[in-house]
Amino acid sequence: MRDPAGWPVFRRCGRGEFGVARVVVLGAGIAGHTAALHLRRMLAKEHQVTVVSPNSKWNWIPSNIWVGVGRMTTDQVTFALAPVYRRQRIEFHQALATELHPEGSPSNNAPYVSVRYTDPKRAGETGEITYDYLINATGPKLNFAATPGLGPDANSVSVCTPDHAREAAERFAETVGKLKQGIRQRLVVGVGHGTCTCEGAAFEYCFNVEHELRMAGVRDLADVTYLTNEYELGDFGVGGMIFHQNGFETTSKLWTESLFRERGVKAIVQAHVESVEPGTIHYEQLDGSKNSLDFDFAMLLPPFRGADLKAFDSTGNEISSEVFAPSGFMKVDADYTERPYEQWSAQDWPNTYESAAYPNIFAVGIAFAPPHQISKPRQSPNGTLITPAPPRTGMPSGIMGKTAARTIADRIANGASASAHRASMATIGAGCVASSGMGLRNGTAAAMTMYPVVPDFKRFPGTGRSAIDTFGEIGLAGHWVKYMLHVMFIYKARALPGWYLIPE
Amino acid sequence: MDQAAADIKNAPLPTQRTLRLRQNLAFQLWRFIILNLRFAKIIAKGAK
Ligand SMILES: Cc1cc2nc3c(=O)[nH]c(=O)nc-3n(C[C@H](O)[C@H](O)[C@H](O)COP(=O)(O)OP(=O)(O)OC[C@H]3O[C@@H](n4cnc5c(N)ncnc54)[C@H](O)[C@@H]3O)c2cc1C
Repeated sequence: MRDPAGWPVFRRCGRGEFGVARVVVLGAGIAGHTAALHLRRMLAKEHQVTVVSPNSKWNWIPSNIWVGVGRMTTDQVTFALAPVYRRQRIEFHQALATELHPEGSPSNNAPYVSVRYTDPKRAGETGEITYDYLINATGPKLNFAATPGLGPDANSVSVCTPDHAREAAERFAETVGKLKQGIRQRLVVGVGHGTCTCEGAAFEYCFNVEHELRMAGVRDLADVTYLTNEYELGDFGVGGMIFHQNGFETTSKLWTESLFRERGVKAIVQAHVESVEPGTIHYEQLDGSKNSLDFDFAMLLPPFRGADLKAFDSTGNEISSEVFAPSGFMKVDADYTERPYEQWSAQDWPNTYESAAYPNIFAVGIAFAPPHQISKPRQSPNGTLITPAPPRTGMPSGIMGKTAARTIADRIANGASASAHRASMATIGAGCVASSGMGLRNGTAAAMTMYPVVPDFKRFPGTGRSAIDTFGEIGLAGHWVKYMLHVMFIYKARALPGWYLIPE
Repeated sequence: MDQAAADIKNAPLPTQRTLRLRQNLAFQLWRFIILNLRFAKIIAKGAK
């Protein structure tokens, strides 16, 4: 079914039957929405751009943290997608993709995606959407089920979606209410499994909670604990960082510990949460010990896995294991050979995000399968893996979305053999701002940049990252940056005039 | 006391001057410019 170059034979030139190409983007998050907007801008009018996503609204996820402490409403971090897509002439299906048929099927010659509509007007309907190029940007499935008792339907709260964050804010307000009555409260913020990612978000929420407690004048009655799978504080799933400060090299560990000391926040590291009962978290630590922690309020992020997508060949045989890694994320142009940590290299990381099985499919943002972690993997004596999964944060996710869009636009314009654009996480950096408080004067933030995200010890012997471009700083300025990013990225995502001038 | 608690206990605390600078509007305006330049540089490197 492939030509010598590996292209499906039914789409040699990368265009649909009448010279009109159809690009389908699955997921309207940071990566998918960025890809769709750029595609529409780069492609000639006759080509179609279609987005399939289950939610009617776009969400600037980083600001869910502020919703989670009651400083923003869900309306301030979301907007309706349909009017934006209508204005941009992007076709929008409010639906969940359920199956990929990259070779078509006996009844449908063209590659297609099966979808189930979540649009209330078409609820329960199913459909097939054909494509010439497909971008999988379905992000994470929030895998609360991996830890019994974890999540907003059970015994802890989350800030991963606007609704989760609103509920977290309500529970947090109740906790503050009890503190105001003089009742001591134990607050736990962190991650709910040994293989979670997004420790930066948990860290940020923890310091927002701590800040709000101080603002409410009840800090002295509250025990705040950060519970994490990181080997040490400041790891953030990227194996920690080395900063240069005042003529010294310092570690992100020491920098983070200093903040914990200053704010009186306790930390439990190297922890895999085994279960969450009402009021009690049970966890195992890397030394094999099993412990429990009582709480009145617990925000624990879930582990992620890939969206529930299956893939089938032209005869209807399931080929999910060829297309997806066991984690459910899509296999791309990474080197997935299993190797010990000491042999990991920056070259293992993908550049083009083309599917390993079908070159007209791309997976970007959280949806692509990383070759391995960035932090050193560690197991407890009981065989439990307690290591952060690699973070794929907003900036890299947006860059990957744009990179796939540029490759596809080139191939539609110049033929399918046009070479792919590249953006490896070992050649792009990331900025991360953990900000608390609100307003011009009343806030503070820990701002960090790292370059590159995946350390490259050949280019940067010693630390694997550029000493100049990897840094951390605490202060009000970082808080302004975070608020500016909130305003800018919502403006950009709304595709308002000049949106494309705002970088990813 | 476990290792994480011991490490936090031994971590350096910012001086009063550092704490003041972190909230000082003029100094933070300067840092805001620097932070934006740093972010812009990271973005530019990623876009190469
Ligand atoms: C609380 C929190 C705070 C964060 N803060 C920061 C921060 O400060 N800075 C930063 O850089 N990063 C931050 N991140 C990480 C950032 O949000 C992610 O890196 C980013 O959202 C990843 O983009 P994505 O497009 O891959 O996934 P998402 O943004 O999650 O988008 C995935 C999209 O796919 C859709 N989808 C899911 N399943 C299907 C399906 N089957 N079919 C079709 N569509 C589907 C979803 O509805 C969604 O629209 C934070 C994350 C969290 C959870």
